[in-house]
Amino acid sequence: MKDKKPFLKDLSSLSTGQLIRFVISLLVVGWIGWRVYNVFAGAAFGADTWTRLIVSGLILGGMYALIAIGYTLVYGILFMINFAHGEVMMIGAFSGYFVFEAFKAWPMPTPDNPNMNFLNANPVLSILVAFLVGMFLSALSGYFLERIAYRPLRGAPRLVPLISAIGASIFLQNAAQLLFGPQRRDYQNPDFLWRGTGWMVPIGETQVMITYTGVFSFVLSVLLMIGLYLLVQRTRLGRSMRAVAQDKATAALMGVDVDATISQTFIISGVLAGAAGVMWGIHNGLINHYIGFIPGIKAFTAAVLGGIGNIPGAMLGGMVLGIVEALGPALLGIDFQLKDVVAFLILILVLIFRPSGLLGEALSEEKV
Amino acid sequence: MKNAIRSGIRIGATIAILTIFLMLTGFLVTSSVMIGKVLGNIQGTKDILNIPVLNLALSVGLLGFFGGVFAARSHNADNLKDTVIAGLSAGLIGGVVVAAFTIFMGNLNNTGVDLRGYLPQVSPEAIKLFLMRQDNITTAAVNHILLLTGSALLGSLAEKGLSRVSLSSTIKSRTAQFSESITALPFVKQFLAFKYASLVGYALVVIVLFILPSVWGPYWNFIMGTVGIYILLGLGLNIIVGLSGQLVLGYVAFFAIGAYTFGLITAPEPHQIMLTFWQALPIAVLVSAFTGILLGLPILNLRGDYLAIVTLGFGEIIRILLKSDMLGSFTNGPRGIRNIAQPIIFGKPFSNDVQFMYLIIAAVLLGIFIAYRLQNSRTGRAWLAVRNDETVAQATGINNFYYKILALALGAAFAGLGGALFASRSQFTGPEDHILMVSINVLCLVIVGGMGSLPGVVVGAMVLKGLPEILRDLEIYRMLVFGALLVVMMIIRQEGIWPTGRPKLEPPKDVPDTPTIDAAVTEGEV
Repeated sequence: MKDKKPFLKDLSSLSTGQLIRFVISLLVVGWIGWRVYNVFAGAAFGADTWTRLIVSGLILGGMYALIAIGYTLVYGILFMINFAHGEVMMIGAFSGYFVFEAFKAWPMPTPDNPNMNFLNANPVLSILVAFLVGMFLSALSGYFLERIAYRPLRGAPRLVPLISAIGASIFLQNAAQLLFGPQRRDYQNPDFLWRGTGWMVPIGETQVMITYTGVFSFVLSVLLMIGLYLLVQRTRLGRSMRAVAQDKATAALMGVDVDATISQTFIISGVLAGAAGVMWGIHNGLINHYIGFIPGIKAFTAAVLGGIGNIPGAMLGGMVLGIVEALGPALLGIDFQLKDVVAFLILILVLIFRPSGLLGEALSEEKV
Repeated sequence: MKNAIRSGIRIGATIAILTIFLMLTGFLVTSSVMIGKVLGNIQGTKDILNIPVLNLALSVGLLGFFGGVFAARSHNADNLKDTVIAGLSAGLIGGVVVAAFTIFMGNLNNTGVDLRGYLPQVSPEAIKLFLMRQDNITTAAVNHILLLTGSALLGSLAEKGLSRVSLSSTIKSRTAQFSESITALPFVKQFLAFKYASLVGYALVVIVLFILPSVWGPYWNFIMGTVGIYILLGLGLNIIVGLSGQLVLGYVAFFAIGAYTFGLITAPEPHQIMLTFWQALPIAVLVSAFTGILLGLPILNLRGDYLAIVTLGFGEIIRILLKSDMLGSFTNGPRGIRNIAQPIIFGKPFSNDVQFMYLIIAAVLLGIFIAYRLQNSRTGRAWLAVRNDETVAQATGINNFYYKILALALGAAFAGLGGALFASRSQFTGPEDHILMVSINVLCLVIVGGMGSLPGVVVGAMVLKGLPEILRDLEIYRMLVFGALLVVMMIIRQEGIWPTGRPKLEPPKDVPDTPTIDAAVTEGEV
């Protein structure tokens, strides 16, 4: 936070645009406050509903955060929006799906259960393999994405890689549709992690279910984020990534292989996206070729919300966005259809009041 | 030698992946049918069982051939030996991988597993065709190796032979010669010297545009009408992105607002305002422009990518609101608006496909005229200055904020016009007409055509909206091809199909031989 600008300068020193901006945002904030007050004054929802919403927000937020880290890592280094990142996540989801299907089709009869299959005989191993395969294939696609669609465009005007990324996104989506068909597919979790099962937690007078898949996804995403943070802060690879993000030319002079570091960045963001994809499948159940698109856009929003280029910012942004999306409609007392409206509205407000995102950005001076 | 083998291996792996990918997506079957059309050797239905093996062999062989061409090209070998080695190794590697895949698929097929539950395009008949209808899987695998190796070798040799002739430069010089000889013809020379030559040119274009819609039938009118509307959108976004340099990803919002405003005030439901076409059109345009200003006021100070994501969010917000139950009584929710007014001229309805095409053409010509005048005005130059460097622009006395808002408002007005025409043409508009893909398509057409270039917008719209229609033969593959084309296009020609030239300042008149002073590079960053 270098600029210690006072929050409000003299009103007279503001330009017209700033003034109008200020008035508009004041109106919006006032409206939000009024709605929230109404909801609480009317006690529209009980504590159980709020718990349920917060839990689902946290789970969603964890997945957004994992994808958002991928955006932020790439943006921090290349200053480009990796539009195809959502599709990388979709590839991870499909990989996990096929692993589960294959294991389910592998019969492993036991004396007491002749219908036993590998999936339920070795559930932990199955999940591990599904995640490893998903992460591996996503990382692979991230790597090739960079090699084929982005590397030849280094140094081009900024819109050029964006268009290339959009093209890659369209290509991957349609390739998946052609390969696997347009229908939705049902994720076959192992029985002990079946969707819709969970712990019953008494809140007030009602029981609130905390699903196993939700807890599993949330814990795993937090673990992965911690792992990533350690990787970036403690290892040699992380150091070279930070160096390249700060200044490519100087990093190269210091003996960092810039191209290799960029490739590794894409691999790491692919790994996280792949994990998020498998989680998405395990928790939400239905996947098709289109699932990557909307989470991708949301995750980019989350990255911007937290301050793009800033890894803790992406984590925080993802969590905040997930919770806002889950809680927002209830807080404002509006339809749940409008959750995306709330999410984007919060983003716009944050950017107007705090253009560098929640945690500020860690971009180099090279291009801001 | 070592390089040749290395490039051969790389290309070989690519050939193998491509072949397998095309097999799994069912494209090899489609291309075999297409080859069959060319050769005329498919009798009866287009059933897979009727496709001759030769066609499949040709499809795979073509892949190998182009692989060989690339293998020979990618390492610039001077001697024949290296070329042969590159081609051979590419074909061999590709062939071996494809053969392994063939054996795998063949055995899987023999166990009787139906893969179509997972890979819908891979039917047993398709696998049989891929096995070249051989019962022995090993024979099929060996056939694939031989086929790919042979064709890659052929490809590399052909590339070697062609590079001696250096085809492309020959064509270039030939065309240059040809056009020179044409302009040297006496009457052409006279005509070019004629003062109103350009006017005659315009008149020709107008006449062609006048004749075409009544000639080429409703199907092409529909497609070219869509292209025309996208040209309008492209002209507007070109002002925002191409000239003033603001990356706006939610352009569809203005399109939606234009279409919905027009629909709501002309349709009998849900409001019964029922204005006529000509009353509603300016209102729709003005409302769009006003939304542009309203949106611009709070956000235009944001930096490039933030602006992009905020506008993207705005586009989504508008679409979701239009669809929501909350505004259902106002916008008809997901059902959309029906019975939107069509134009009436001199008391007569002007609404069949040919007449509406004229209307779109008129709008496009008007749009191009306005955009052209804007671009070459003081305002246009101010936009360019803002795009190239805001700080410097401000230092030269340009009010950045004003010009950015102006660009956004004008761009939005174009989108409003496009939206109103779009709604009126199909007499219907609904939330699903205004998805994010529209914004992305328009942005792509501006950039593919060449940023800031008006002919570029026209060409871009033709390519992006027209090409997928022409690719109808490939139906399910067209979006795939489109995505790949965008990537390839950005790699081989990133300035766009028809880029703007650098604007030239006029040389001082009294100094005869000074070189033209180029203005600062305009293809700078956005």
